[in-house]
Amino acid sequence: MKQVTMTVNGRSVTQLVEPRTSLADFVREQLRFTGTHLGCEHGVCGACTVLIDGEPQRSCITYAVSCDSAQVTTIEGFDDDALMADMRTAFHENHALQCGYCTPGMLVTARDIVRRLPDADEKRVRLELSGNLCRCTGYVGIVRAILSVLAKRKAA
Amino acid sequence: MKPAKFDYERATDVAHAIGLLKGSGGFTKILAGGQSLGPMMNLRLAQPDLLVDIGRIEALKRIEKTHDSLFIGALVRHAMIEDGKAPDTTRGYLRSIAGNIAYRAVRNRGTVGGSVVHADPSGDWPTAMLAAGASARITSANGARSVGLDAFFTGAYSTVVGEDEVLEGLSVPAFSDHARWGYYKICRKPGEFADSIGAVVIDPARSYARVVLGATDGAPILLPALASRVAAGQAVSIADAGAAIDAVHSGFDPFDRQIHATALSRAITKALAA
Amino acid sequence: MSDKGIGARILRKEDHRHLHGRANFTADIAMPNMLNLAFVRSGIAHGRLVRVTKPADAADRVFAFDDLVGVKTLRAVSKLPTYKLADYPCLATGKVKFVGEPIAACLADSRAEAEDLAARVAVEIDPLPPVMDMVASRAPGTAIVHEDWSDNIALTIQIPSDIDEVVRTAPVKVSGEYKMSRHAMVPMEGRAVLAYWDDRQDQLVVYSATQVPHLNRAGISDILDIEQRQVRVIAPDVGGGFGLKALVFPEEIVACWLALRTRRPVRWIEDRVEHLIADANCREHHYRISAYADRTGKILALEGEVTVDAGAYSVYPFTNGLEAAMAIGNLPGPYHVPAYRGKAYTVTTNKPPLAPYRGVARPGVAFAIEQTIDAIARAVGRDPFDVRLENLVPAAAMPYTSVAKKTFDSGDYPEALRRVARMLDLPGLRERQKRREPDGRLIGVGFGCYTEQTAHGTSVFASWGIQLVPGFEQATVRLTPDGGLEVRVGVQSHGQGMETTIAQVASTTLGIDPARVNVVHGDTGLTPFSTGTYASRSIVMAGGATSRACKVLATRLVRIGAHLMQCEAKDVQVKDGKVVGPRASVEFSEIGRVWYMRPDELPPDVDMGGLECTVGYRPDPDYGTFAYASHGAVVAVDPDTGVVEVLDYVICEDCGTMVNPMVVEGQAFGGAVQGIGTALYEESPYDDQGQPLHSTFADYTLPGATEAPMIRIDHMISPSPHTEYGIKGTGEGGNIPTSGLLANAVNDALRSLGAEVHETPITPRRVLEAIARARKAAA
Repeated sequence: MKQVTMTVNGRSVTQLVEPRTSLADFVREQLRFTGTHLGCEHGVCGACTVLIDGEPQRSCITYAVSCDSAQVTTIEGFDDDALMADMRTAFHENHALQCGYCTPGMLVTARDIVRRLPDADEKRVRLELSGNLCRCTGYVGIVRAILSVLAKRKAA
Repeated sequence: MKPAKFDYERATDVAHAIGLLKGSGGFTKILAGGQSLGPMMNLRLAQPDLLVDIGRIEALKRIEKTHDSLFIGALVRHAMIEDGKAPDTTRGYLRSIAGNIAYRAVRNRGTVGGSVVHADPSGDWPTAMLAAGASARITSANGARSVGLDAFFTGAYSTVVGEDEVLEGLSVPAFSDHARWGYYKICRKPGEFADSIGAVVIDPARSYARVVLGATDGAPILLPALASRVAAGQAVSIADAGAAIDAVHSGFDPFDRQIHATALSRAITKALAA
Repeated sequence: MSDKGIGARILRKEDHRHLHGRANFTADIAMPNMLNLAFVRSGIAHGRLVRVTKPADAADRVFAFDDLVGVKTLRAVSKLPTYKLADYPCLATGKVKFVGEPIAACLADSRAEAEDLAARVAVEIDPLPPVMDMVASRAPGTAIVHEDWSDNIALTIQIPSDIDEVVRTAPVKVSGEYKMSRHAMVPMEGRAVLAYWDDRQDQLVVYSATQVPHLNRAGISDILDIEQRQVRVIAPDVGGGFGLKALVFPEEIVACWLALRTRRPVRWIEDRVEHLIADANCREHHYRISAYADRTGKILALEGEVTVDAGAYSVYPFTNGLEAAMAIGNLPGPYHVPAYRGKAYTVTTNKPPLAPYRGVARPGVAFAIEQTIDAIARAVGRDPFDVRLENLVPAAAMPYTSVAKKTFDSGDYPEALRRVARMLDLPGLRERQKRREPDGRLIGVGFGCYTEQTAHGTSVFASWGIQLVPGFEQATVRLTPDGGLEVRVGVQSHGQGMETTIAQVASTTLGIDPARVNVVHGDTGLTPFSTGTYASRSIVMAGGATSRACKVLATRLVRIGAHLMQCEAKDVQVKDGKVVGPRASVEFSEIGRVWYMRPDELPPDVDMGGLECTVGYRPDPDYGTFAYASHGAVVAVDPDTGVVEVLDYVICEDCGTMVNPMVVEGQAFGGAVQGIGTALYEESPYDDQGQPLHSTFADYTLPGATEAPMIRIDHMISPSPHTEYGIKGTGEGGNIPTSGLLANAVNDALRSLGAEVHETPITPRRVLEAIARARKAAA
């Protein structure tokens, strides 16, 4: 076991972890932030996407022990984030979720697209979403939701 | 789908990393970004006894521009190049490639050095860096050495980097103002492993031309005959590219041969049109 | 409040928890003292299981077949003649029959440690020749999967009919062979189960990612031989199902048995590799079709042979025969086919069991029949649109009984196709095809039409004679003391939005705001019995039952309300969440208060059932109501790389009365993109030794946002004459026509090259091979 200290959703945590424990299993099983989902555990589906030091990363192929001193934000950590609030509203209004399993990772990616690419068009949004799989919606609502937040920010 | 048990050590500097590599009795792997190693370990395809995490070694994160080259530290993440955080010495070549590797979340953690030393045939950097004429700086307890990428890859997932050596970074020659390049990747969908990659860099001012075929069954393949034609400004049809492939590799089935030829021809067309 | 009831595009009540990471999936539940389970699985497709050797230091945590005392095998029964039992043992015994079959169960505190343990279990298997090709293995003399069988054919179904005269005289005959490849269902959440014994309730409590909690309970009780009262199945949030989670599988039974044995909570969370290689697959169909037509392309007769590769075992309870039975029964599709002869084989092979996936058999049917329509059009030299239009059952013929004895209840099938062609601008596309594309790609247009029997009930399932036949659906409604409503239904919602749409049905019936309605579902301890969510049945059945229950509740509200207003019950009505009389009105909350807290104010003859009732419902007739749609798409094919891009995709659908158009559209979009997956990307291939070539998402391709077009949709509304409010089912239909129409579009694009592809997925390799074949034939 190794001791690891990191900030998760704004709070410092220090815990013992097995080196093989992924960041996803760490936040889910040890910290009980179960909003981060595991959909493939090999870095393709994107359900486990969280922010590490502000950037979206795969928590399923990142070891908790290697995140020592990092700032980690899971879906439970965006309550004060205005952009995420807009994105949640847009997902709701555009029927961008059905079963909800991909949603937390999808939201983390969607928020990052708007933050990083304010001029993204539909084609670019789709390209940027290529690392997040959804099996229910056909992506129609998700793409519309992101485009609507982009448009809203542009108009503001 | 959880990894087998392993020990973990975090290296403070390159010398420490080399010491850990030399000192371990069992199978040791270096952990950089872990975006290829992580999946392999979750699938238990890789079961190292020890992971040496080099992720905190600041010296490996440096980006340095000299008068005729750009040094990219092994730990530079794809997204840093994608976002233009490295000086553009290649007329947008490296940046364009970086932005189309896997997915953004992977690019935010995956490293250039990790990708090159992993030497997955379908990875972008091995093919792209070879086409750019890059050389690798490799450090061991006995000192550092520089190896051109044309002598670096020894096969699929195989390089000249020894078990107790660390790739420090890559030196990429600066492109002249008249350099042209083309890069064409064929994959089932964005972010997937490539089925074929054609990479072309032409820089008459340096009398430089390289054409590389990647995503084959082995190391990326240099095609000097095509490079000469491209240097002379001649277009290369799919049929021409297919014939050039036949001259260096006879083992492709008709489908693979066709898409490799198409990737090469399209990369060349892009370079000539640039 | 009717603006929020049936027909309203209201936003979903279930979204908030998902958007905030506060949903509760099975894997999110942890319990003190919980054990995690991992399986040792066969690495050999077919072989004699010689020995399982447990690590000496952990023998008490490893369980093989012989340890499962009192556990029956999963036996899926059917009364269809010729059906052979293919029992699925919960852990392998005698022979292993596919790569991935569970052999031993390993318990540890964490999943990682359970996998460590599994890696230390030694398994000895004597390999036998695997049976991999469903068509070849129909022949005598091949290796046999089930030793007590004389061949590999699990079921043969024939629809005999004398069409010889048409065969002899028809001026046009087209024949084709079509293959839809095996793939996986891939809900984003895999299967999952957490079981524990509750001493206080004297119950095994099973959290399960299931679409069918009551059916699961029946299965667990049957196979473990414990009383049903001692099993409670709870489906918490479930991350997609698509049919996979409508079955009972060995892993769940083993987890339940281990919870009983260890008296500790036992959890098994399927990982993605397990899902891809060891879980039930879907779709593998092979068709030989001959169609006979007149010179205008009007179909005179149809002849089809369907072979379904059902894998090694028959899935519980729907059996391995449902695919072929549905395929042969639906082959004529939405078309007027005067004469039809068909034969269907279900073949057993050394692959994972095949199970019904969204659309159940009909995507395969549409793949074959839609390409057949295009083949007829090519044969008579007409546009496939025109030939399709003229063969569709016309609106004037409704209700229409097909040659396969299905009665379509309502709709205008040709109009849906016409609208799709308009949305695509078919004449413009035909002009565009005459010009060459600047990028050298080839453009093609494809259409697909279907009619989907939804919510088929007792009579249909009884004819298949399977374990569990759906009957009357019940809903329990209860007015709370403060005037809110609880609706309890036995179906399960895992993305379909029924927490919203069932509330909308209640809203229409009672005038109550959906925000004040809680829909309770997915828990055998809290809801009336239901066979569950499958067959596009839930909104028809549970929605209908909810409506009926609300109507009964309304009569009781009226009686009390009238008494409180001192007027006659005949003079009051339920409206806008109130009981409204000639001079006054009473809020539901007031009625609730009186019933629960102040019974002294109740009328003396009040119904003692109070403000809670359970009412049953079944459509009459219950053979199913037929939703239908036409889809159309434009593709671009790169003849140098074989890459197919879907440029445009449009839908015109009719599911009768729409409860929530937003939800209907979501189902259609999602279904269509799953169809794009089947058509272009998804495949679970095996080598000749039965080794899967698709164990991760690196080699199993799902459509992503870049592979999905911005689908456009139009609606028609032809209410069903047989169902409450005229609602038809709509969950599955979206992916029925997609493979067929995309094959048509690709083949339309390739027409100038003389190439055709008739196999899914239409990969670059298959496209280039087709082009190469055409060039060779031309040379």
